[in-house]
Amino acid sequence: MNTLTMDNRPAQARLAPAIAIRNLDFWYGENHALRGISLDFPTRQVTGMIGPSGCGKSTLLRILNRMYDLYPGQRAMGEVLFDGRNILSPGIDVNVLRSRIGMVFQKPTPFPMSIYDNIAFGVRLHERLSRTEMDQRVENVLRRVALWGEVKDRLNASAAALSGGQQQRLCIARTIATRPEIILLDEPTSALDPISTARIEELLDELKQEFSIAIVTHNLQQAARCADRVAFFYMGELVEVDTADKMFTAPHEKRTQDYITGRFG
Amino acid sequence: MSAQKVQAGAPDGWQRGGAQAVRRRIVERLVNVLCAIATVVVLFLLFSILWTLVTRGAAGLSLATFLHSTAAPGSGGGLANAIVGSCEQTLLAALLGTPVGMLTGIYLSEFSHDGKIVSFVRFVSDMMLSVPSILVGLFVYLVVVEPAGHFSGIAGTLALAILFIPIVVRTTEDMLHLVPRAMREAAYALGAPGWRVIVSICLRAARGGIMTGILLALARISGETAPLLFTSLGNLNWSTNLNAPMASLPVTIYQYAGSAYDDWVQMAWTGALLITVAVLATNIFARWWLSRNGTASS
Repeated sequence: MNTLTMDNRPAQARLAPAIAIRNLDFWYGENHALRGISLDFPTRQVTGMIGPSGCGKSTLLRILNRMYDLYPGQRAMGEVLFDGRNILSPGIDVNVLRSRIGMVFQKPTPFPMSIYDNIAFGVRLHERLSRTEMDQRVENVLRRVALWGEVKDRLNASAAALSGGQQQRLCIARTIATRPEIILLDEPTSALDPISTARIEELLDELKQEFSIAIVTHNLQQAARCADRVAFFYMGELVEVDTADKMFTAPHEKRTQDYITGRFG
Repeated sequence: MSAQKVQAGAPDGWQRGGAQAVRRRIVERLVNVLCAIATVVVLFLLFSILWTLVTRGAAGLSLATFLHSTAAPGSGGGLANAIVGSCEQTLLAALLGTPVGMLTGIYLSEFSHDGKIVSFVRFVSDMMLSVPSILVGLFVYLVVVEPAGHFSGIAGTLALAILFIPIVVRTTEDMLHLVPRAMREAAYALGAPGWRVIVSICLRAARGGIMTGILLALARISGETAPLLFTSLGNLNWSTNLNAPMASLPVTIYQYAGSAYDDWVQMAWTGALLITVAVLATNIFARWWLSRNGTASS
């Protein structure tokens, strides 16, 4: 099964992958944006996706939670296996799927409501909790993203008043509050300052104890720091995937080599 | 000038552009002056209207204005029936028009993949924005007043609602368009169904702007005269019955201002002052509300 995975780590890698993509093709109308992608996302590891703008990495991420469904004219073919089912098949309940595969976006997107409600909103969609249980859930996720200390006295204040880095941590808290199994991150730090970025990266390290993570990034150092495995995309194709160490020291493909040494992209 | 002298010996980079730069400075000055003059003219007109209304209208203002109904010339009376009639008709029109207008605006903004239907509905709604209000009055006369055989408050309400709806449609659609796509996607990404995203996220983000639109539309219809002439007609007596002719401030002003009696003309000025103050207050409140509750993005 492991078409492109050559992971020689013990135990962890031998778990069934959280998501297995097989021969995936994607079109924006007539534009064939992804071609024949096969890729595994190992359970409880961070998979980094790199490549020049327009190479299809964000597109791939947006297939994994069927975000492309929102836009007519976009279609995917192939298999994306998650928990024993192909998520591209029409019988999948996308709302349930999205509660199991959460997503964090490039720009922080706090909802126009209080900090508390930003987190409770997603939880209420899928669970009926008592007031105390909800309070606990909110506190718990805010602690996990290291935001509790900064906001515990103003949970009812508008989330818009938080700084950019705080907003992004709130968005991550909101995502893990629905208890997903996988978290997709689409360039989550590209709008943040270096300190906020470092805090998010630390957070990823901690979150992978519990979640499988897929992160798209333009920042190669970030991929090297955070990801266990890195996949390099170019012009809609998956060029190479390997452990972060190998990708950044001894890639097999010349195109990977050229990209990580800054010759294009 | 002194700055130029310091530079005198140099090859004179400050002279770059030559005549063109001089012309640019003159044009700049000219446009500034023209803008200032235009602003003064507009403000002068506005304040002279206000001043005239206050000086002429305040003279007839008393408690009786609010407590007594219109009466025959020379026998005093007030505007109570007109004030209550105006309030009743405008508020009911707003109550009818707000849900219809908002739902249409939501449809136009959120279901835009319906393509042709959406652009048709938007086209019709934009047409309605610019239909002369007297035509709306005539339309309601034909479909409501004539079949019923008599003028009525409900007909006036309908005419006002028809004017009210397209304004709310437009603001609702515009305000929803301002809600960032990323915010919608973030809500969908949590597993929220479409209706939930619209109600809990988009409408919430746009509520300040939509509320402002509703208040401005309210201000707009509360001053309308033409659509009421053929519909609620006006009523000299106290009446809150929607199925009978109903008084309103604009129509009363229209009738009294053209009359030959001094006290009626005075009453018309007072009515004009009241309506202007009400519209002005609504506008100011709407703007204050918008600045407090922010636009879609905040």
